[in-house]
Amino acid sequence: MTSRTGRGLLVALLLASWPSQTDAQSAKSVSINPVQSLSFGLLLPDRREAVRVTDVARRAVVALSGNGPVDVALVLPTSLETPTGERITLQFSAGDAALLTTSGSTIGTLDPLQVNRVQLGNDRTVLFVLGGTAITNATTHPGHYTARVALLVNQPGT
Amino acid sequence: MNRSLRLIAALGMLALPAAAQAQSITGSIAASADIATVFSFGAPSPLNFGSIVPGTAAAGSGYIPLSRNVGVIYSLPDGATTGQLSGPGPAITPSYTCGVGSTSTTIVSAFSSCNGTTSVLTLSSPTGTLTEYVIFNGSLTAAQTNTVPGTYSGTIRVTATAN
Repeated sequence: MTSRTGRGLLVALLLASWPSQTDAQSAKSVSINPVQSLSFGLLLPDRREAVRVTDVARRAVVALSGNGPVDVALVLPTSLETPTGERITLQFSAGDAALLTTSGSTIGTLDPLQVNRVQLGNDRTVLFVLGGTAITNATTHPGHYTARVALLVNQPGT
Repeated sequence: MNRSLRLIAALGMLALPAAAQAQSITGSIAASADIATVFSFGAPSPLNFGSIVPGTAAAGSGYIPLSRNVGVIYSLPDGATTGQLSGPGPAITPSYTCGVGSTSTTIVSAFSSCNGTTSVLTLSSPTGTLTEYVIFNGSLTAAQTNTVPGTYSGTIRVTATAN
């Protein structure tokens, strides 16, 4: 093979690879849409308050849509905080997350502490819901406490 | 292979791993809670001088608990008539010591006055929820009890304002 012939072949291969990569990515697109935040509501000091995944008013809801398998991982905060740094302990355990259909039927229970493989299909939307437990103590001061949960959705490569 | 060919080959090698690269997206969920203010009086224990033999001194003690997790300003809205006793004879004004204690028996922080019209004690926010007791200790002199027989009663009104 001459250098000219080889160069032409490599250029052709390279050009051929671009459209196929673009096709693969567009077919595998995933979207995340937060629908509802996790809200513990009004709490008293020295109490333990759990929000279950079945608590439609207070659980967090995120809509996921796309195709194929995705790995869902959460970066969970250990506390809710006021702007001045006062804290309420947060706890999450297995069963504090679930996958639902948009009609509310449970597809499966998830462990928010683990990476969960979820199968998305035909661009249909599924709902990822999250609960948790807030633990106040006798020294917890009145105020508004907040935190953010990061949701990482990774679609494995082919 | 010349230099340009090697460059194209290198680009091609870079492109192939990219085609198999995983796709990642990130979302965020807000979480929140509100801690309630605790600020409420409990059931009072009346100050009762009991049945008094006319012409003898008498004493009594009463309290009302307050649970709170914020600061407080105490005041006595009735001022000079706070705890004044009315009955069949002339009104009787006992002399009082008053203030706040961590138990119902001992005053730790005294009010600046037991019949003042302005705020009589300000306490800061505690480290946690606590229950403290507003205590009034009253006393009657022998001269005050030497009066018309009958039941004498009154009210000690205490206002607590969250601070």
